[in-house]
Amino acid sequence: MRNLSLLIASLAAFGQGAAPKPVPAKPGQLQVGAWKNLKFGKLADVKIPEVEVFTLKNGLKVYLLENHTLPFISGTALVRTGGLLDPGGKAGLSEIMTTVMRTGGSKDKTGDQIDEQLENIAAAVESGVQNEVATFSFNCLKENIDEVLGVYFDLLSQPEFRQDKIDLLKTQFRSAIARRYDDADEVNRNEFQTTVYGRDTPFGREVEYETLDAISRADLIDFYKRYYHPANMMFSVSGDFDKAAMRARLEQVLGNWTPPANPVPVFPKLTHQATPGIYSGDKPEVSQTFLTIGHLGGLYSDKDYPALEVLSDILAGGFDSRLFRKVRTELGYAYNIGGGWGADYLHPGTFQISASTKTESTVHTIQTILQEIEKIRASGVTDEEVATAKDKVINSFVFNFDRPQKTLSRLFRYDYYGYPKDYLVQYQKAIASVTKADVLRVAKQYIDPSKFVIVTIGNTAEFKTPLTDLKLPIAKLALKVKEPAADKAQVSGATLAKGKQILARMQQAAGGAENLANVRDVTMTANATLGNLAVKQKTLFISPNQLRQEQELPFGKVLVKWDGKTGTFQAPNAPGPMPMPSPVAKQITEEMFRNMFTLLLSDRNADRTVNAISDTAVEITDKSGNAATLTMDAATGLPAKLSYKMMGPQGPSDVESIYKDIRDIGGGVKAPFLVEINQGGKKASEIKYETITANTGVKPEEIMK
Amino acid sequence: MRPLVFFPLLAAVCLHGQNLADFEKRVTEFTLANGLHFIVMERHEAPVVSFHLHVDSGAANDPANASSTAHMFEHMIGKGTVSLGTKNWPEEEKALQAVEAAYDKLEEERVKGRRASSAQLERLKATLDKAIEKANSFVDQNAFTKEIERNGGVGFNASTALDYTNYFYSLPANRTELWFALQSEWTARPVFREFYKERDVVREERRMRVESGAQGKLIEALLTTSFTAHPYRNFIGWASDIENLRAKGGAEFHKTYYVPGNMCIGIVGDVNPAEIKRLAEKYFGPIPAAPLPPRLVTREPQQIGIKRVTVEDPSQPLVVIAYHRPDGTHADDAAIDVLNGVLSSGRTSILYKEMVRDKKIALGLQTIPQFPGGKYPNLFLYFGVPNQGKTADDLEKSWDEIIARVQKDGVDEPTVKRVKVKMRAGLLRALDSNSGLAGALASNWMTYGDWRKMFTDLEELDKVTPADVQRVAKTYLLPSNKTVGVTVQPKKEETK
Repeated sequence: MRNLSLLIASLAAFGQGAAPKPVPAKPGQLQVGAWKNLKFGKLADVKIPEVEVFTLKNGLKVYLLENHTLPFISGTALVRTGGLLDPGGKAGLSEIMTTVMRTGGSKDKTGDQIDEQLENIAAAVESGVQNEVATFSFNCLKENIDEVLGVYFDLLSQPEFRQDKIDLLKTQFRSAIARRYDDADEVNRNEFQTTVYGRDTPFGREVEYETLDAISRADLIDFYKRYYHPANMMFSVSGDFDKAAMRARLEQVLGNWTPPANPVPVFPKLTHQATPGIYSGDKPEVSQTFLTIGHLGGLYSDKDYPALEVLSDILAGGFDSRLFRKVRTELGYAYNIGGGWGADYLHPGTFQISASTKTESTVHTIQTILQEIEKIRASGVTDEEVATAKDKVINSFVFNFDRPQKTLSRLFRYDYYGYPKDYLVQYQKAIASVTKADVLRVAKQYIDPSKFVIVTIGNTAEFKTPLTDLKLPIAKLALKVKEPAADKAQVSGATLAKGKQILARMQQAAGGAENLANVRDVTMTANATLGNLAVKQKTLFISPNQLRQEQELPFGKVLVKWDGKTGTFQAPNAPGPMPMPSPVAKQITEEMFRNMFTLLLSDRNADRTVNAISDTAVEITDKSGNAATLTMDAATGLPAKLSYKMMGPQGPSDVESIYKDIRDIGGGVKAPFLVEINQGGKKASEIKYETITANTGVKPEEIMK
Repeated sequence: MRPLVFFPLLAAVCLHGQNLADFEKRVTEFTLANGLHFIVMERHEAPVVSFHLHVDSGAANDPANASSTAHMFEHMIGKGTVSLGTKNWPEEEKALQAVEAAYDKLEEERVKGRRASSAQLERLKATLDKAIEKANSFVDQNAFTKEIERNGGVGFNASTALDYTNYFYSLPANRTELWFALQSEWTARPVFREFYKERDVVREERRMRVESGAQGKLIEALLTTSFTAHPYRNFIGWASDIENLRAKGGAEFHKTYYVPGNMCIGIVGDVNPAEIKRLAEKYFGPIPAAPLPPRLVTREPQQIGIKRVTVEDPSQPLVVIAYHRPDGTHADDAAIDVLNGVLSSGRTSILYKEMVRDKKIALGLQTIPQFPGGKYPNLFLYFGVPNQGKTADDLEKSWDEIIARVQKDGVDEPTVKRVKVKMRAGLLRALDSNSGLAGALASNWMTYGDWRKMFTDLEELDKVTPADVQRVAKTYLLPSNKTVGVTVQPKKEETK
């Protein structure tokens, strides 16, 4: 790192381009045009501070930097965890855990006591979490270091996660969710992220009322224990102290901390592909449209990242980019316009251009941005543009070193994310060698307008030119908070009465309520495609909730037996049946709730509510929290579709079963012989029944034998 | 370029005498013959410099019926000078004069109102558009900012507050002279280049900050309700004023307010003070001295009863409560700052504990001791965000109860002490940034005539007692002195 300053100086000299022009300036006269004649000396060397790295006896890696500018000391731990590791259905767990780790206090002191203790001495201990890292940090006047480090370690090693602070935070989360669609600017940013990263992926999912409800104190403790131990963390301290003394202090305070540790899971990879097109959200109360155009970006470590940065700067960076010039300076359409290629350390960032413009010029602004992007992809950039973009990076490079703290936090983060120590120098060298041809190549290779997601949040009715003029598919964004399943639909006497009518019509079409009630058992054989697997299955069912199902998979047999309350499960190649695992039991109970024969008779079950949510659909719920929506074919009155939520490893997803080929199965009753199952909007499975026979007299012993 | 500044640059907070002495050793001050004052602080840790031009006039000085003039002028910083930003200055200058002449003609017709000839209006508008188009043909777009950026300038920006306007950025230290060359030329001879297009940009800025969010709409409504006469009622300028601003109005504003005696320059970084003085003489010395601008004489009359305003917006509710208070140089200022800290600073503050933590009626809250400016009598402000299922009324009721309690029972000594300790440390922490420091030096000098004020206030802060805090609460937080603003959702039948 030592020869870095030389590099800066030499590149800075090379950066000066324009030929000086003589300007007359007599003493005492205003120096008009003097800027053209200036010659700059060599920039003084930057002092690169010395960062000490060592490992405590318990394995905690520490970065240390002495900095006597101000009488403060601060420290930060990076913990290898993050929002990406929130378990499915519990989005928000990491954020709640990290926050309550501080506010919920330690074993010995409540969070409120700690608030007072720290604020009395103007100190702070705070925590935070992002996708792939959690932080836990402190800051204090140097004279308070022992006291504050004590509190810090107390919270780090024995947080109590008191329930009242969990409840407080959940209340605040709920209020924030209720406000999610209030601010157009924020909605635009949020919707772009969730659309590009995928609403159902760990990268794009949001905290919802449901996921909050699913999080308990036990979850916080599990999450904490899993990730907070020395081998899974790094620590840095900087400020007004003596290095040797600090090292000894850390060894004493932190070095003996040896909680049990297990290997932690790896971060999930992003595989989502967003559907390109326009995503339009209507907010009639605003006079400006907030819009974003873009798609996934890349990593800092990509070899083309420097060329993409030059491209970004020319297209959309700073006060003199092509888009700033066109949209703001020439058209006067926007105060805010900018963006560019986005990178992150471990997962792709986003390429995005954002602007806000008066309602009437929304579509013209989008067209202008798209044209500028097309132009740069078709004809590239000029030598002068490349030179200016490079000058900016090279001449401002010194600001990476204007505070010692910056060097420390850079090295610390590079290490955490597995980047080389000299990443910044490599980057700067790479910038210096970017050519016009490189910029054109990366523009063509990485920016793909056919993949653009375009989010607009504004008063749609007043767009002078309609969005349809863009000739792209348009999806409407609801901008409505997802209410907990139970209170999703309006329930009134009228909707309940209507629900009854719709259900009655479906009963009628499927054979009549009495015939349906007379179905005691059903025997079915089917060929199914579950995902990519071809499966042969045989099912025995005794109303209302006994089940036996044999599935022949390519790698063996699965046998499920369920007597309505308990059962067994036998996996392929397993020596014998095992007691029903609870996730499978849960799934079976849900399947029993959704069984067509019992579902159609929901009006006869006191535990269930049947509520019309439209002219052809009823939402059926029960007291255990099950819910599904049954939609009727308006022409035939037959059930056509069943929609419900299924909890998966990535959180809840929307599932639809489409009923086809509905025929007699005996006893005057009809059932679908073909069921197509869509998950998250995509076809996932298909079940083709060879036979469905009602009332063959299946005995409970046959189910459990 | 005008952030919604909620916090004054630095509240009146303080530092130990020892630090002040250490500071003084590194500070050099001088005033040029024309009255322009410089404060230079040496910091040699890294070869960088931050520059800050502070103009002691802002949006409160906007001419009548031309709100946003100060702000619009501030935007001209991006448009360059006579030598930078033009392809041919003599021709461009002529073309810009032609634009103004054409605009004058159009206005002469417009002022006739119903007697104006629509054919004539159309013709004159076309002439104006043509003149603008011609003037634009000489523009070398964004050349000024480009020159700064390519030289490694960072943090280039400007802001217009009610009280002041400032311009700032940082450069590698070897390019110090570039700042002098560019800033002196612009300060002396700004060019109203692309003025009428930039006017649209400022109009967009108003749409973004005020018209497209409940908070912006609410704050604007609060200020216009709370202030009857004083220009602090002018939050960001009115749409129709902005749409009719004239370049010649901007020039007049510049001539009146951008005079050397009304400005101060702060420079912090790796510099040699003697060299800075030489450059200052060379570049800013030739700017002629000029009379100081007129005083702003309008005073807000005393409020004589509670005022309320509602803003319809479909968002979840927000509430803001404000009380008139004296200007920032008043003897009660330090006690008001402490009251502010006692009420809302950190998790130990009275409002946080009661509204957020215990009663769970607020998602978040904030008090601001002086808003929207500090030079003239202004407002003590409370801003609250109700939790789901709670209303603006719930928050106002709780606020009234808490304030009544503070007025009746006062606050305890440990709480007041804690607030003082935090304020002192807060100032120290702010000293880390060259750019923030350059701004603080210049603004404190401009306001108090001495940059040391930001440290010497320590004594005043230390003198504040719990009794003082109780007294200012009783003096200013009175129902008759109160303005309440809330957002309410529009009634269903009125929306489509």
